[in-house]
Amino acid sequence: PAHDPTPPLATANPHRTTYRTTMACFKSTYADELVATAAAMSVPGKGVLAADESTGTIGKRFDGIGVENVEENRRAYRELLFTTDGFEKYCSGVIMFEETLFQSCKDGTAFVDLLKSKGIIPGIKVDKGVVPLPGNTRGETTTSGLDGLGERCAKYYAQGARFAKWRAVLTIGDALPSAQCLDDNARCLARYAAICQQNGLVPIVEPEILTDGAHGIDKCAEVTERVLSCVFAHLMTHGVMLEGMILKPNMVTPGSQSSQGGSSASREEVAAATVTALRRTCPAAVPGVLFLSGGQSEEDATAHLDAMNKGDQQGRKNPWTLSFSYGRALQTSCLKAWLGKESNVAAAQAALLRVSEANSKASLGQC
Amino acid sequence: QGRVCHFSRRFSRSTVGFSTHSRPRIAPRLVPGAFAKTRSLRSATPNFHVHETSVTMASASSLASIQAPPVALRASALARARAAARARAPIVPRAAASAPPMSGIGACHAGAFLSETEKAHLVTIAAMIGTPGKGITACDEGPGTIGDRFEAVGVVNTEENRRAYRQVLFESEGANEFLSAAILDPETLYQKSSTNGELFPKVLMARGIVPGVKPHLKIFALPGQNGATVMQGLDSLAVRCAEYKAAGCEFAKWRSPLEIDVANGQPSDLTIETNMRDLARYALICQSQGLVPIVEPDIALKGTHDLETAVRVNVKVQSELFHQMNLHGVYMEGAVLKSNMVNPGKDCPVSYTVEEIAEANLQVFRRCFPTAMTTANFLSGGQSLEDASARLDAINKRKGRKDPWNLSFSWSAAVQMPLFQLCKGKDGLQLEAIGALYVAELAIASAAALGTHTRKGTEGDHKGRGGLFGGKK
Repeated sequence: PAHDPTPPLATANPHRTTYRTTMACFKSTYADELVATAAAMSVPGKGVLAADESTGTIGKRFDGIGVENVEENRRAYRELLFTTDGFEKYCSGVIMFEETLFQSCKDGTAFVDLLKSKGIIPGIKVDKGVVPLPGNTRGETTTSGLDGLGERCAKYYAQGARFAKWRAVLTIGDALPSAQCLDDNARCLARYAAICQQNGLVPIVEPEILTDGAHGIDKCAEVTERVLSCVFAHLMTHGVMLEGMILKPNMVTPGSQSSQGGSSASREEVAAATVTALRRTCPAAVPGVLFLSGGQSEEDATAHLDAMNKGDQQGRKNPWTLSFSYGRALQTSCLKAWLGKESNVAAAQAALLRVSEANSKASLGQC
Repeated sequence: QGRVCHFSRRFSRSTVGFSTHSRPRIAPRLVPGAFAKTRSLRSATPNFHVHETSVTMASASSLASIQAPPVALRASALARARAAARARAPIVPRAAASAPPMSGIGACHAGAFLSETEKAHLVTIAAMIGTPGKGITACDEGPGTIGDRFEAVGVVNTEENRRAYRQVLFESEGANEFLSAAILDPETLYQKSSTNGELFPKVLMARGIVPGVKPHLKIFALPGQNGATVMQGLDSLAVRCAEYKAAGCEFAKWRSPLEIDVANGQPSDLTIETNMRDLARYALICQSQGLVPIVEPDIALKGTHDLETAVRVNVKVQSELFHQMNLHGVYMEGAVLKSNMVNPGKDCPVSYTVEEIAEANLQVFRRCFPTAMTTANFLSGGQSLEDASARLDAINKRKGRKDPWNLSFSWSAAVQMPLFQLCKGKDGLQLEAIGALYVAELAIASAAALGTHTRKGTEGDHKGRGGLFGGKK
């Protein structure tokens, strides 16, 4: 039987609060809303657009198409993305950078209001970027931004955001990631997630393991499983409500410099290794696993997601939705079509729609 | 702690470990001489019990109708099995052929030390154990524990009685329709069926019931933890697993009991971590010897805690278990969970319906039970068959898309206590009656495992005895 939503409970104590929150052992006024938002972000056939490039990073994208990195261009580009007709069919939410959360369309409509009117949930990147780990001799980093996070979350919630994102970065190497790196990044992710939930934001938990390196797919699988296991251990310790969060992991692939090389591990291998890693470490209570694209081409990112949703399920369905939270893998064609010109907006939007639709199909295994 | 220590009475009956299946006892410090004596006894006698040997020899010669071979023959068969096990590769983890040099945190990954064939075998056995509609019969009480149960109903505790009783549990007509596996005490591994003279592991396998074993474990109080315990048994486990494998076992089981004692802060972080680490290492050792590990974190029913507390503690314990298993590199797809059902404490004053209990169980699993593991077979832990079945049934009725595991039973007391009652006031074991009732009970358990059982009245509900929201006094 496939119960969705949960059937009602015959209870011996009708004056007790809703069972889900009671048994989550999670005391937050936002519990039910968090669960609803996370469920909305996990609808199969939809994914999240990661449009949260910081000012510096979007500058790199703009450099590639010869566009000046000024606030008006950044605003215009995001308006292009959000006003794409029909985009809401494939997109459940958009992650924004702080600047963007407070920006508006040319006609004065606030971005958050525009998105909400289309049924797209606004989200916000809340981390402040990576910083070196003190005493670490291998160049490993942690992510900063915990100080004052609660107040910022409240401010973003008031503006209309309903989910947040925090990106931890780990590297595979000889004896890497180190215990220090793994421990601190997992701990920061957990604390970030707990703070978000206390302030009404669904946390997207993103432990990204970079593809840099010459390792094979097995090594990536090993590290991914270890990282995810540690992340969930810390989430448990910090009392994060799994039903109200989203996981945004890397896919399990060979290293970019490995002899197996970028795309020469088959799509099925990547899919199988990724789903296996999740089955070993990601609890069923998490409603959605929305992958990062991590520099994969649009085609690869779509094909891998599709293979995962089509793949041999061994007769058992996955308990979480497998979908996308792509940045470059949704925007590359769009940026190339736009080139900063008003006259190209329609073509750019068409490109975005095309890639989004492909990924929507991939999240249903229907490519 | 107010617990009675029966050590002196125990020692006359068994020398190697006690089954702690139902009543954990604190083992006193072993004196060095005692251990040495234990070891030499083990090598001398096939069934490890000084007292029983003489009885066995007498009964073997006098019961001519039963084709039990003389002790000397059994000893040599055992010695051959042992020699074969020792002749195999030394008991150290083998580096997988394609594994890169291990450094840093990547010491072991998900069964990387196993070959593809070995992994496939573990998956096959785990799948057999997790056959929908079937469950495990737990017959692994040591001679001491089963002896207590026999004597409580006036049955003499002899090796033959233990053998004959287990034979009924294995061979009753129709039992194998409902059984996927059986957990045996090591003694039983080397006993034979009177039906065809075959060793029990072979008999079971021929009936489609996977045989497994509970290795000897000793309970030990963790100093400074208010009586919380750990299980000792990792030393020499690999060697013993190899013996059990040679004897026909395909899985093993290790039980780590825990108690919720909120006032004393138990189970504490240390108690949980220590026990779960040991379970993870036991699992790794089993897999290295070709046995599927059943990991059994058993949080006792005892206590006054409410269901929410039980959920919180179960999530904490099981999260730690699976985290340790992942860190140790256990091949998750080739392991099985045998956990307690999540219940309010036995003396909890708050009432709960069976649906609330079922929901609590699913919530716990959703929060920590990896979907790479395919089956969880609940222990009964003091619940009656009626309550356990009603709850298992409610769990399976509520199962949905979020719950891809097979959820079934691995019951001993719930199924067997009524069987002993059939012998009360009678002369010896009532084998036929036992068999009939046993199969009827298994049918109920099987229906519960499929979610097709119908409970009577309020079976499975927890009736609180008082307090603000409580029921009847």
